[in-house]
Amino acid sequence: MKDSPIYEDVSHLLKRSSIIFLLVEIVFLFVAFYYWKIQILDYKKYWTLSEANRTREAVIPAPRAVLTDRSGSVVLANSVASFRASIIRENTKNFDESCRKIGQLLGLEEAIIRERMDKYKSLPVFKPIVVKDNLTLEEVSRIEGRKMDMPELVIETEPKRFYPFTTLAAHIIGCVQELTMDELRTTFKERKLGDMAGKTGVESSYESRLAGVDGKIIEVVDSLGRKRDELDRIEPQQSPKLALTLDYDIQAKAEELLTGKEGAIVVLEPKTGEVLALASFPTYDPNKFVNRFTPEEWMALANNPDNPLVNRAIQGQYSPGSIFKLAMASGALDSGTIVDQTTFFCGGSIQIYGRPFRCWFEPGHGTLNLYEAIQHSCNIYFYNLGRRMNIDTIARYAEELGLGKKTGIDIPGEKEGLVPSTEWKKKTQKTAWYPGETISVAIGQGPLQVTPLQVAAMTALIANRGARIYPHVLREGREPAENIKITSAIFEKIIEGMWRSANMGGTGQGARVDKFDVCSKTGSTQIIGRETAEKLGTQRKTHSWFTGFAPRNNPRVVVTVLVEFGGLGGATAAPIAGEIFKLYKNKFYDRQSSSPGD
Amino acid sequence: MIDRVHLQEIDWVLIGLLLVNSVIGILLIYSASHYQPGNFYVRQVIWLLVSLAVLFLALSIDYKILIGFSPYIYALFILILAGLLFFGKGTAGAKSWIRVTVFGGQPSELAKIALILILARIFAEFRRSHLSLDFAALSAGVVFVLVVIVGLQPDLGTAISFLAILFGCLVLAGLNKKALAILLAGTILVSFAGWNFLLKDYQKKRLTTLVNPGHDPRGSGYHILQSKIAIGSGGVAGKGFKKGTQSQLRFLPARHTDFIFSVLGEEFGFLGVFIVFLSYFFFLARLFRSVGKSRDRSGIYIVFMTTCLLTFQFLVNIMMIVGLFPVAGIPIPLLSYGGSSLLTTYLAVGLVVNVKMRRFVNV
Repeated sequence: MKDSPIYEDVSHLLKRSSIIFLLVEIVFLFVAFYYWKIQILDYKKYWTLSEANRTREAVIPAPRAVLTDRSGSVVLANSVASFRASIIRENTKNFDESCRKIGQLLGLEEAIIRERMDKYKSLPVFKPIVVKDNLTLEEVSRIEGRKMDMPELVIETEPKRFYPFTTLAAHIIGCVQELTMDELRTTFKERKLGDMAGKTGVESSYESRLAGVDGKIIEVVDSLGRKRDELDRIEPQQSPKLALTLDYDIQAKAEELLTGKEGAIVVLEPKTGEVLALASFPTYDPNKFVNRFTPEEWMALANNPDNPLVNRAIQGQYSPGSIFKLAMASGALDSGTIVDQTTFFCGGSIQIYGRPFRCWFEPGHGTLNLYEAIQHSCNIYFYNLGRRMNIDTIARYAEELGLGKKTGIDIPGEKEGLVPSTEWKKKTQKTAWYPGETISVAIGQGPLQVTPLQVAAMTALIANRGARIYPHVLREGREPAENIKITSAIFEKIIEGMWRSANMGGTGQGARVDKFDVCSKTGSTQIIGRETAEKLGTQRKTHSWFTGFAPRNNPRVVVTVLVEFGGLGGATAAPIAGEIFKLYKNKFYDRQSSSPGD
Repeated sequence: MIDRVHLQEIDWVLIGLLLVNSVIGILLIYSASHYQPGNFYVRQVIWLLVSLAVLFLALSIDYKILIGFSPYIYALFILILAGLLFFGKGTAGAKSWIRVTVFGGQPSELAKIALILILARIFAEFRRSHLSLDFAALSAGVVFVLVVIVGLQPDLGTAISFLAILFGCLVLAGLNKKALAILLAGTILVSFAGWNFLLKDYQKKRLTTLVNPGHDPRGSGYHILQSKIAIGSGGVAGKGFKKGTQSQLRFLPARHTDFIFSVLGEEFGFLGVFIVFLSYFFFLARLFRSVGKSRDRSGIYIVFMTTCLLTFQFLVNIMMIVGLFPVAGIPIPLLSYGGSSLLTTYLAVGLVVNVKMRRFVNV
């Protein structure tokens, strides 16, 4: 009666209880074993998972390298701090709700956010997806204020590309834009989604030298992705600054001279190939594209009929017009077709192959030798050369002078132009070359197409008396000049004609500069039929060309000008070039020539 | 009134084990929630004091009297819970909370006591060697009414805990093969009906993710995975008090309630787990050894059903948090935060002490 006060037999109840207790003991043992397995046997695995949970690697983007002009002190592109807002999908509770709220907060359309999310849906859910960049301080504080109830929206800082002179040299510098999925899969494999990279110009061609090395932080985060602590930090590395060959003053002057026109100016040093200015107009402000969200602005520019995005200096392909006479003259002399004193008579027009061909000067130039023909840009003289040379010989000399092929300048997108030949005609039009076509080519018309840069490079080659240089915009040595087959004596004769053109009342006299010995050649290319021209008015019927160098001996600078629909080369392009020669003389030449060494 | 004789017979060891585990619970709750608003550990301390006081107050009433009132208590809880179902505004979607004071109260927890009492009354005079159909049906009916009402709230965890009480009394009464078959059939029927009509989608999902926790890393499988990571990464000795990254950085869900044991595993490692296993095992073993130390059958039933309930809750929880059982929302008595749960546990253990201390009284 001590512990079992019940007077009846309940032993069967106690037995059932002890069976259950036994079962409980077995379960206890089993569970204890299972905990032992997780905590002791699988410890490593779970420890790694818990570390992965709590740490996050965040990238500190490196600022892009600074770009300067040739002096090294005028900054053309640098990096400034900017804020961007991103969504971490992992932290969204209700995706639709999030899109709506964030849209309201940032003043974005919901559809844009969704599109963005969709574009990057392949990313892991903890990766931030940028939805707006270049935030204003007001926007930043608005987002910060909602931090607690919108853990999915985070602010990140990033260095943003900035072009202090906006449109200046936009076509050379280029701009950066966000990488697309395709680019990330192909050329930019080691870059991350949302990264910016050079799209055009120097930004693109020297991407690897400008990008720098991103740093990283290893930080402790909570389950909402909020940063709690920092474990490690590797600072980003900015690459050293790159100096371009551009001269700020000349570039600015060139763009000023082109304002309101459509065209291009190339200024380069004939000895080195360094490009002092390369202007294309109309232009654009690349700052507008240094963000991820202006498809409309980009489309507007891309569809603009004036094509501001096209770099006319290297991508514009034009008939060279009378500029081509320099190549004709070189070829005619070198091939022995004529000598410098060979004369032809100009009566204003000539019958060749039963067809009349006109000179631009209707009364006629009378009898001219080669010097006078270049000086006055007489068409009849060159028609005669065209009749005596075959097209393939002309093509060979044109190519020898660098026409119809890329100069190899270190910015992307350069066009080749076109130098026709019998083979070209056969290949593209499946017909034979007619000798009559050669007559047009002899004065730079017909299928011929060149870029302003090719013309500048050809002019440098002439100025160097046969040494070919490679135009470039990065102020570092490129391949040295190489001599071509045509002898310097021939170029001296061409130069005599060019000198007369600028200094003896020739077509290039508008570019004459006192005590600077400019040598030049102009061109006016007929680009539309006579009838259309009459409709548009005489002012707009031709492209206006000028190319030249100075001074005659020991040349220092080459200037090439093209003005679309500019009228006569001598009237429009030559005075523009004159301004640039003057500026160059003041800034570089006078200072040096006054020193005793020169 | 508590007799001097009764005072001498109070099971102080059991009450000691009760307190030891409650203190462990408060430490864990502190670590799991000190960095967030709510002062849960302070509240738990207050609940502990209140529960202890209630326990001793309840000892003064003979459990036979309580059993005598049990039909009324049971009916009262049915009314309250059914009323809540129709009029209650739930906390976080569950309708089981009733605002009594500054502390929330959960009547469905206390309904466990009512269930224990009424089942003890039913089986008080049951003298057959094995369970008969009429008693099985009656007791099952009494339990299922509550299971359905609470399950609809929806509080699946508590509803399942009721079944543990039913299981306890049926086992004690002697489940024969026939009764077992009927019970199984009934359970299958109820589960089938429940799956199709009763369970909410999230509850179904919990059951399905038990099979494959990695499949749905952001849903309930994610919770199990995070809990396993917490426990596994604790290793032998743990990351240290308040240093569990899974818990402190909030990767663990329901840290101070359902997943409190995961906090233990992470911060105190296998050693901590093992010690709490032992202390809880001693507590439960003491309860099992109390079965039979009663002056009548109803006392035996009370002790055994209480033991089954607490054992079930503990084992289910520690299996749930490592993925051996579906996430059912069953807290660990004494360790998890929760005033109603603590009070209920103290009342239940109080009943056991009540039965034991009056075992020598003449009928």
